Amino acid sequence: MPAERKALRYGHSEGHTDVCFDDTGRYIVTCGSDGDVRIWEGLDDDDPKSINVGERAYSVALKNGKLVTAVSNNTVQLHTFPEGDPDGILTRFTTNANHVTFNGDGSRVAAGSSDFMVKIVEVSDSSQQKTLRGHQAPILSVAFDPKDEFLGSSSCDGSVAVWKIDDQVQVVSWNVLQKSSDVSNAKSLCRLAWQPGFGKLLAVPADKSVQLYERNSWNNVSRLSDDFIAQPVNVVAWSPCGKFLAAATIGGFIVVWDVDTKQCIERQKHEKGYTVCGLSWHPSGGQIVYTDTEGCLGLLDGVAASSPQHGSKNNEVVNKAMGNYDDLFDEDDDGHLAEDLSENGLAANTVTGGGNEDDEDDDLMPSTGRPRNRGAFLDDDDDTSVDAGSVKYENDGRVGTPLPSVPCPAVSQPRYEGPMPTPPQKPFQPGSTPVHLMHRFLVWNSVGIVRGYNDEQDNAVDVEFHDTSVHHAMHLTNTLGHTMADMSQEAVLLACEGTDELASKIQCLHFSSWDTNKEWMVDLPKEENAKALCLGQGWAAVATSALLVRIFSIGGLQREIFSLPGPAVCMAGHGQQLLIAYHRGTGFDGEQALGVQLLQFGQKKRQVIHGEPLPLSQKSYLSWMGFSAEGTPCFVDSEGTVRMLNRSLGNTWTPVCSTRESCKGTSDHYWVVGVHENPQQLRCIPCKGSRFPPTLPRPAVAILPFKLPFCQTATEKGHMEEQYWRSLLFQNHLDFLSSSGYEIDEEARSKGQKEQQELLMKMFALSCKLERELRCMELAELMTHSVVTLAIRYATRSHRMALAQRLGELALEKATAQHEEDHEDDEEQSELPSTRQMSGMTPSSRKPLSLGISGGKQSKEPALKPLVPRPKSKVTQGIIMVAQVCFLRYNTVGYRGNSLHLSVPFSSRPKTGFQLWLEENRKRILADKPDLDETDIIKEAMSLFRALSAEDRLVGVHTACQWVSLCVFEVLYCKFAFSVDLGCEQNVKWGTRLCSTAALVLCPKGCWLSPSPLFHCRKP
Amino acid sequence: MDPSEVEFVAEKEMVTIIPNFSLDKIYLIGLLLFHRCCIKWVHRMGDLGPFNPGLPVNVPVWLALNLKQRQKCRIVPPEWMDVEKLEEIREQERKEDMFTPMPSSHYMELTKLLLNHASDNIPRADEIRTLVKDIWDTRVAKLRLSADSFISQQEAHAKLDNLTLMEINTSRMFLLDSLDCMYKLRTNLLSRGGAPKGHDY
Repeated sequence: MPAERKALRYGHSEGHTDVCFDDTGRYIVTCGSDGDVRIWEGLDDDDPKSINVGERAYSVALKNGKLVTAVSNNTVQLHTFPEGDPDGILTRFTTNANHVTFNGDGSRVAAGSSDFMVKIVEVSDSSQQKTLRGHQAPILSVAFDPKDEFLGSSSCDGSVAVWKIDDQVQVVSWNVLQKSSDVSNAKSLCRLAWQPGFGKLLAVPADKSVQLYERNSWNNVSRLSDDFIAQPVNVVAWSPCGKFLAAATIGGFIVVWDVDTKQCIERQKHEKGYTVCGLSWHPSGGQIVYTDTEGCLGLLDGVAASSPQHGSKNNEVVNKAMGNYDDLFDEDDDGHLAEDLSENGLAANTVTGGGNEDDEDDDLMPSTGRPRNRGAFLDDDDDTSVDAGSVKYENDGRVGTPLPSVPCPAVSQPRYEGPMPTPPQKPFQPGSTPVHLMHRFLVWNSVGIVRGYNDEQDNAVDVEFHDTSVHHAMHLTNTLGHTMADMSQEAVLLACEGTDELASKIQCLHFSSWDTNKEWMVDLPKEENAKALCLGQGWAAVATSALLVRIFSIGGLQREIFSLPGPAVCMAGHGQQLLIAYHRGTGFDGEQALGVQLLQFGQKKRQVIHGEPLPLSQKSYLSWMGFSAEGTPCFVDSEGTVRMLNRSLGNTWTPVCSTRESCKGTSDHYWVVGVHENPQQLRCIPCKGSRFPPTLPRPAVAILPFKLPFCQTATEKGHMEEQYWRSLLFQNHLDFLSSSGYEIDEEARSKGQKEQQELLMKMFALSCKLERELRCMELAELMTHSVVTLAIRYATRSHRMALAQRLGELALEKATAQHEEDHEDDEEQSELPSTRQMSGMTPSSRKPLSLGISGGKQSKEPALKPLVPRPKSKVTQGIIMVAQVCFLRYNTVGYRGNSLHLSVPFSSRPKTGFQLWLEENRKRILADKPDLDETDIIKEAMSLFRALSAEDRLVGVHTACQWVSLCVFEVLYCKFAFSVDLGCEQNVKWGTRLCSTAALVLCPKGCWLSPSPLFHCRKP
Repeated sequence: MDPSEVEFVAEKEMVTIIPNFSLDKIYLIGLLLFHRCCIKWVHRMGDLGPFNPGLPVNVPVWLALNLKQRQKCRIVPPEWMDVEKLEEIREQERKEDMFTPMPSSHYMELTKLLLNHASDNIPRADEIRTLVKDIWDTRVAKLRLSADSFISQQEAHAKLDNLTLMEINTSRMFLLDSLDCMYKLRTNLLSRGGAPKGHDY
């Protein structure tokens, strides 16, 4: 299994860097050419502690709380760790030291300098120095033998020497390196490393391989190389167990060998190909940190975790497990997870995922073995002085040196090897920055910004509204120490957690109130702390540590109160909706187990989402939750994926945007502040190198577009599919709003629908071109009836008769279905006769083929709505018949033929104005043009009829009573005209429907029917 | 053109503001034409907005300043109006003999306008003012130097790249007038029959 390469972080400015772990492995310490030493609490630490040690720092070493740096003022300095206070100067050279290192127990420091000298200094007494002279060029690297007997050094003169420390003499020297004049010109940094434990082997990077020299005999016993390495090896480092050797090269190759087998077990390439100049193993193995010459810090996780085992398997498990804990700590350091877990760094605590779950611990391990077991566990982690000893002995056993008498405490204990629980994420306010910051955003939402200042001079809260017409900005002194806030158009809600003396308080400034008292405050019961809060329209909600949600009215009345199934993570309110995320249980391996509830207040109170799991991305946590401006719940996880509730698909969550894709750097993030559905906007603040923005300089809001993660969006098809579904998804709010009784923007709706239908038609055309007729049909099923007719035209035009035929059937189904709906409306709204007769008005016209129109149903049961649409209504049948007939005619005549005119009656009993008029005037027309056949007569009549004034026609209409439609199909290039002649008033509604279902069709060629005559007819 | 006119031209530059009011799109073409027909026939601003509280939007400087004066918006300083960037430009300007391209063709006017009216929205306003003044001085000194060498070498034409409108206008009047003057003097000399010598002014 390859190690996981974590994303690079910017650590220092460009130039030489060095890195090491502290003894516990909790901190990563780096130094760089900017002269700073940075202490990172894990790789994800956004706010590493910086200690300035000089103008440039060349090398850093850390042991027993002492930090040694080689800096540009030619000194080797000592600092305390982790405080970073200067602790004196260890030694000086005539020029700068290039490498410093501690010996095994941290009592001595060796430093190699560019003045050709190596010095060994006692940490406790810097006057006790030993100087090793003999190299002919600047020293590249020094390395202590773990037994403190020898010291290895490499130099620019091309030699690697081993010195006997006590005698200060060179024991052996090999000329294995390339000569150079200075460190800056040296091809490789040639960092040496002794095998931990007994120091059996000394690893020397020599060109593209690593030479291993045996202690005492000083023979070159083996050579580690790999084809993967293309450039000289820069740095080598032994794993703490002494079993693996990691090497990093110029050009950024990182390789790990199993020394026994000489097999390469890990090959990684630096993601940017920079030269790696610092490399360090985690004290428990499993992780390697590295830095490069561009100042970046990287980490390989799970190194050698699943390599072939030779020695004690248990130990490996320890390492692996330790790796996992570090993961936990890493996340912890982000500041979002339970703080108490990281405070003491107790592995045992993390194993169970929380102090109060010791019972679980018992389940995992036999209770008798537990105390000892835990002690053994902690050995590696806490007791630094023992660390070297105990671990080393075990490790030596692994390398093969017989050591029968050494006790090996960890080996015999059974250990839990399963997935590790994730510490639950802490509650937070959406749109706030971490609590520990002195200047932070308490909330930033679509209404405004609440900033908190908590420094020496002042503890205050600034409230600012984006729209100053809502309210002017406010400045409040924060005597209570509020840490949570939310704001809406009506109020600002603040809350603080309780202290020993004071109860947790909720303060509400409802500035919109019309009376003079615009503030109220509520104390929560003792021992109950506010954890999350939100504001809706006319109400405020507070989730507390007692797993309660308390609802208050905006004026301070206590309203509903209910229990949550788990500790709240965050809440959001909008209008009458309340969205709550809470811990559903314990997540494992970095996952959070969150549940979500959506409640609806107002007239009919109900729960819309009943505590279903919240679908977060893998190994992420919730980072923002709220509503879109239109009221659709959305949330963002730490991976930057924005998900939105899809109400039309059973309240599922659809990912609508991945902010990570828009980020330039790997450690950049977008901090979401709002979601808008119309226009589609994701409002967020770009943050360089962090997850959240600083309060100053004032961050600017950027807008990201939404994009559903569809496949192949680069292709036209994928692109349009994405657009279509996105458009559909972002229309859902309209249905929701209208169903909950809000006014909606009809214009936006029709615009959206038009866009969708256009996209469908485009996709239809594309599929047609690609000869995918089944796909065409699938698309047509999504279309409205009117667009299906358009699709029929398109299909016929491109000579796809089979498709057109099927589409015709589909159109029929659609029309029926639509009519059924309409019909039900009618039943409710008017007393229309439920049965209608129909027969042909002009029997000579083409017979509608194969359509079941003859036997009209006499009555219908509105209560029973059939699942399968079937022809039920005569009216629709009529319409379809027309469409069908037109279509068939179309096929036979060809679409470019002269205009076709059909008129089809829907009802004979009541006649249209036109019919009446036609009967009256038929003779006159025939007299004028005797050679006309039936259809032409109608055509002629039609044009004449249309030429009549609206008033004249209305007379006809009124006399005609009832309703009927007449239609003529006009063959024009790719366009339809619709027209319906209406009957009497009560059927006006019908007419409009016919229009919208678009069955019909009118007007001779070249004479487009403008809508106005229709409207004339409609108006009573 | 006098400096106030140049400044007026500079006011058409776009700048980002964060409004604190809400307003639909406004269509300013007509208004702009009315305002500016005397300067330039059409400067097509198109439509401005919509203005959403808290959301950045691009508007011309004159509108931004107007809104700012009415406390209706916050101005986001242009990207180049940043101490580090300006320092870099200043160094570049000092290092090179030629004029270096400026981040904005109205850098001087914009700096003055924005710093005078919206210095509370611009971090380190004083430093920026000094830096821009430095850059301006360097460039104007260069301009004088090149005018000097242009005249002293009696060149017929010279080409200057990357000059901004304001810079051209500071030297135009004086330079043209003095060239006229010199021409008159020279022709007088010629008409008297005396051949012009090397430095005859």
